[in-house]
Amino acid sequence: MERDENAAKNPDGAAGDRAPLLSVRDLATYFRVEGGVAKAVDGISFDVMPGEVLGIVGESGSGKSVASLSILRLIPDPPGHIARGEIRYGGRDLLKLSYQEMRSIRGNEIAMIFQEPMTALNPVFTIGFQLIETLRQHHPQMSKQEAFERAVLRLEQVKIPDAAKRMRDHPHQFSGGMRQRVMIAMALCCNPQLLIADEPTTALDVTTQAQIMELMLTLRARREGGSIILITHDLAVVAETCRRVIVMYGGKIQEVGTVDQIFSSPRHPYTIGLLESLPSAQRGKDRLHTIPGNVPYIMDLPTGCKFCTRCEKVIDRCHQEEPELHQLKNGQLVRCHLVEDEAVKVSGDMPSTTTSAPAP
Amino acid sequence: MAAPLLEVRNLKIGYPVWGGILRHKVDEVQAVDGVSFTLRKGETLGLVGESGCGKSTVAKAVINILRATVPGVHQQGEIIFHTTDGPVELLGLSRRRMRPMRAHIQMIFQDPFSSLNPRMTIGSMIEAPLRLHTARTRKERIDRVHWLLERVGLQASQASRYPHEFSGGQRQRIGIARALAVNPQLIIADEPVSALDVSVQAQVLNLLADLQEEFDLTYLFVAHDLSVVHHISDRIAVMYLGHLVEIGAADTVYLQPAHPYSRALISAVPEPDPQADRSGRVVLEGEIPSPLAKPSGCAFRTRCPIVRPECAEAVPPLEAKETGQLAACPFS
Ligand SMILES: Nc1ncnc2c1ncn2[C@@H]1O[C@H](COP(=O)(O)OP(=O)(O)OP(=O)(O)O)[C@@H](O)[C@H]1O
Ligand SMILES: Nc1ncnc2c1ncn2[C@@H]1O[C@H](COP(=O)(O)OP(=O)(O)OP(=O)(O)O)[C@@H](O)[C@H]1O
Ligand SMILES: [Mg+2]
Ligand SMILES: [Mg+2]
Repeated sequence: MERDENAAKNPDGAAGDRAPLLSVRDLATYFRVEGGVAKAVDGISFDVMPGEVLGIVGESGSGKSVASLSILRLIPDPPGHIARGEIRYGGRDLLKLSYQEMRSIRGNEIAMIFQEPMTALNPVFTIGFQLIETLRQHHPQMSKQEAFERAVLRLEQVKIPDAAKRMRDHPHQFSGGMRQRVMIAMALCCNPQLLIADEPTTALDVTTQAQIMELMLTLRARREGGSIILITHDLAVVAETCRRVIVMYGGKIQEVGTVDQIFSSPRHPYTIGLLESLPSAQRGKDRLHTIPGNVPYIMDLPTGCKFCTRCEKVIDRCHQEEPELHQLKNGQLVRCHLVEDEAVKVSGDMPSTTTSAPAP
Repeated sequence: MAAPLLEVRNLKIGYPVWGGILRHKVDEVQAVDGVSFTLRKGETLGLVGESGCGKSTVAKAVINILRATVPGVHQQGEIIFHTTDGPVELLGLSRRRMRPMRAHIQMIFQDPFSSLNPRMTIGSMIEAPLRLHTARTRKERIDRVHWLLERVGLQASQASRYPHEFSGGQRQRIGIARALAVNPQLIIADEPVSALDVSVQAQVLNLLADLQEEFDLTYLFVAHDLSVVHHISDRIAVMYLGHLVEIGAADTVYLQPAHPYSRALISAVPEPDPQADRSGRVVLEGEIPSPLAKPSGCAFRTRCPIVRPECAEAVPPLEAKETGQLAACPFS
């Protein structure tokens, strides 16, 4: 697997001189539920630079999928709605586009690999039919034969054996990991500028995973400035493929840094606890380290720091006052009262420089 | 050594391939091709292998749901489950006679999204097996549901909510709570923690270990994350294209794999460290063969780094290696 090449050659390339491909500002997505409002995503801001592979990790239920579905405006309304924010892509605010304009963005500009394949695949049609339909939607001039061949090629690229024959099969005839790869093939059919990959390799063994990650990176490089948002709980994949990582907890961004910063000098207590929970970090132990306590139910999130109910370093202030995002000297962003002395507050939730935490 | 709880003997599963104008069965995909292993009471056997190699098929065969869910499936071999009243062969059981077995064998499905009923609250879903298999009162059942929800890191108050209101990892934990509800003896866990961040994952793995200790549970644990499998398993079995190619003590298979496929698989484990040295990896050449046109002899030979002409002749049997495990390769 290759690490984000562009970034490696030009570690500071993202700074200032280039405009971001996607800018999310103060995005908030809420769900109306019995007894109140569930603030699944509550004011997140970040940039995706051209050519970048941006990692997003975080607690199960912290809002990663809801954030990505919001970017594509796929939040079911009701019960959900985007309460505020801005999503700038190609000079336009995606939240202001018409349904038609959004549809064209969805296919041709931004594609998504969904966390659960069966949300994207239709159980009653063969996967060949679904792939060909997707292709012809994006390339209306493409003949049936051409579309068929391209679909088979994509299936071969995601390592489905006997691809041509398997075009006739329905989703339930594939294994879990194969279904996931079929969906990846479908997302790649559109040749997107920005690929949002939500847990794209959860069902794959390590060898297949390495091949699929490499395929995503190669196809991205084919389009000038092609970028990927990679949501995953697999920290090894993040370590290998991303340059920058966002850590989420309780609907908010808690920490942002380069992979080296996040893995070698994590500063947010949640990030520290997360890395300590890795089974590979504690070989031979009977019980695995965990972060104490449970994630509070989304309706009962504390008013202060979202993590204060489980934090080992909690102080009184954490219960009353939610910390702002602060930037350390090395560029790392941390939302924690304990770093405030050595950091500057990030105004408006996101400085222009966060897009380019300087190389350490 | 503990008594055997489950014996799988020469299991073969063929999925039908339909074709022709009348959609009749034209061929069969041999998804599992002669797999045998024994699970002892109280142990955890980890099952790993390439995507599509037949792990879920083995898992579904053990809880005997293939016949009801895949018309035309062809099953051979024996799956013997040792109950307190003596051994029972599961594959041959009718649906009606299988039902009481479900109090003892439960499965955590790989795909939580399709295995949860979208029209039922998660509370009633977790309660369902309790209603079916136990004599608990309604109050006892509800208490148990709440206890389970909290143990998997959710809140009791979420029992009245529906599956679509949860995140991917939360849904996976609902499936785990449902399988644990009746305190079964054997749990078939198919990728049970694949959608969880490492902290919640550690919590769930600790829970599985605690329950194992307390109730002497036995697990067949299918997963692709080898560091997780190594942590939780007493023994590890490796599959390739429908065959079992290696089985042995977890430390041995993980640290000194004998079969060339296991070696490649284990060398590919990525390190959660951006500075890690990645030079020792064995990258597998070639395409995964189709189960419809399997290579003769050893199924792995088309991609094997140490292949010899003899490998095409016969399927190599599992044989004991110096390091203690069984591996299906005479040349390793
Ligand atoms: N339709 C809905 N109604 C109510 N709450 C919802 C709905 N969809 C999502 N949520 C809540 O929003 C929160 C964020 O969910 P999201 O799916 O974004 O989590 P995630 O970070 O992707 O987690 P995972 O890693 O488990 O996939 C969760 O607490 C979830 O319960
Ligand atoms: N219902 C079915 N009909 C036809 N073929 C099937 C069916 N279910 C599975 N298969 C095929 O059987 C083979 C083994 O599938 P299985 O689901 O057991 O794999 P797996 O090892 O669990 O893979 P993964 O790690 O991707 O989940 C695959 O080639 C798959 O396409
Ligand atoms: Mg998610
Ligand atoms: Mg499977």
